[in-house]
Amino acid sequence: MSAERGNVKILVFTCRWCGLIGADGAGRKRIELPASYRVIQVDCAGYVEPDAVIRALASGATGVAVLGCHVGGCRFNDANHPALKRLELLKTLLDTTGIGGRRLLLGFGTAHESHQYAEMIVDFHRELEGMPSMASWLPQGE
Amino acid sequence: MLDQVKQKAKEILEKKEADGVLGLRKGLFDVIHPHVFTVPSELDALVLEPKWLFAKMARAILREKPQAWRLAVIVRGCDERAIVELVKRNQIDRERLLTLGYACDMDQAKACLCSRPFPQKLDAGAAVEGVDPLADERVKAYLEGDAGKRMEMWAAQLKRCIKCYGCRNSCPICVCVPCKLEDDVWVERGVIPAEMISFQIIRAFHLSDTCVACGACQEACPVGIPLMTLQLSMREALKKDYNYEAGLDANRKSPVLFDFAKEPRPGQAVPDWVDSMGKKP
Ligand code: SF4
Ligand code: SF4
Ligand code: SF4
Repeated sequence: MSAERGNVKILVFTCRWCGLIGADGAGRKRIELPASYRVIQVDCAGYVEPDAVIRALASGATGVAVLGCHVGGCRFNDANHPALKRLELLKTLLDTTGIGGRRLLLGFGTAHESHQYAEMIVDFHRELEGMPSMASWLPQGE
Repeated sequence: MLDQVKQKAKEILEKKEADGVLGLRKGLFDVIHPHVFTVPSELDALVLEPKWLFAKMARAILREKPQAWRLAVIVRGCDERAIVELVKRNQIDRERLLTLGYACDMDQAKACLCSRPFPQKLDAGAAVEGVDPLADERVKAYLEGDAGKRMEMWAAQLKRCIKCYGCRNSCPICVCVPCKLEDDVWVERGVIPAEMISFQIIRAFHLSDTCVACGACQEACPVGIPLMTLQLSMREALKKDYNYEAGLDANRKSPVLFDFAKEPRPGQAVPDWVDSMGKKP
């Protein structure tokens, strides 16, 4: 079975309070990052419904990252806790079907942790490169 | 057991505890169909087989009737649990609904791979011990072993879906209007075979914390996809991490919808990682 090497596309959902500022910081510090990821900003990781992650995978993303503030540091009544729990549960389903829960990265950080952000993306990219291809799950021609 | 159920149902109607009893009736030409019994004498035609889940039907009936109208439902274990889940979601008003529960026998439990083949409020029959679905060889094949092989197995199964929506319609808990499976944003309509990840994984995940393992989806599926098996690992994870099982306690809300700092958890508490690849803070 072929691996995803060379085919990695990462979709990053990140909250604008922590993850996004971390991403910004990584850019400002000129940290070298893989070109395989695109960022969608959300107000809170709690907005990212598992369906959105599923839809991203269905649309050809090799991996999806959901980044939020540290647990306990959420701006919105700890909404990142239940979001984390839901997405953890989604990992279970992805593991069951063999798609692989590792295609979903959950991460928490604070606004100044741009190095952590960069490291996370680099590691995630590397991890996805080794994943088996999802071709049998995707409609032809995608 | 049937006589016991009939007796209790008659009492309910005679004492006016409810205005109708929902159950199965053997009608003309021996056709069996769901029916709301309203007079005690009608109940002679009551039957219990085949397995039929009434939770969704009870919801629809109660919505049609005036507020003061009360319904009693003859339920199996899974049906009672489905009703509990609908009550939690404000789909059924507990004050207007009464259950008359009876236990399934061992054969039924084995056929359903049911771990709780009896309702909590048991009115008729003796409860038998359930079977552990995860110990079943057919289930194991789909949940364990090499991920790559499993991926092919599930893909081969789900590819056969003809998108009849039978699994959604038969599930006693699938009641959302509008349904995401009918929304082009999430699932392209009119495309067959269904695009597997969107259709199947979204459907399965929507039931992650509500599935009562009744097996209705699987029984409804015309191409025989093992749909209930898809839910079992999530049910197991909820049990392990939060000691939560859908359909048991109407007062306990789903742990994945609420703040886990306040949720008593025997398993994984606030995670000890900053990212799920395992980095420690
Ligand atoms: S799932 Fe369980 S409770 Fe429901 S019919 Fe089967 S054995 Fe009975
Ligand atoms: S077993 Fe299927 S039909 Fe029954 S509650 Fe679970 S998802 Fe719904
Ligand atoms: S019942 Fe089976 S064939 Fe019909 S939509 Fe569900 S999975 Fe597909």
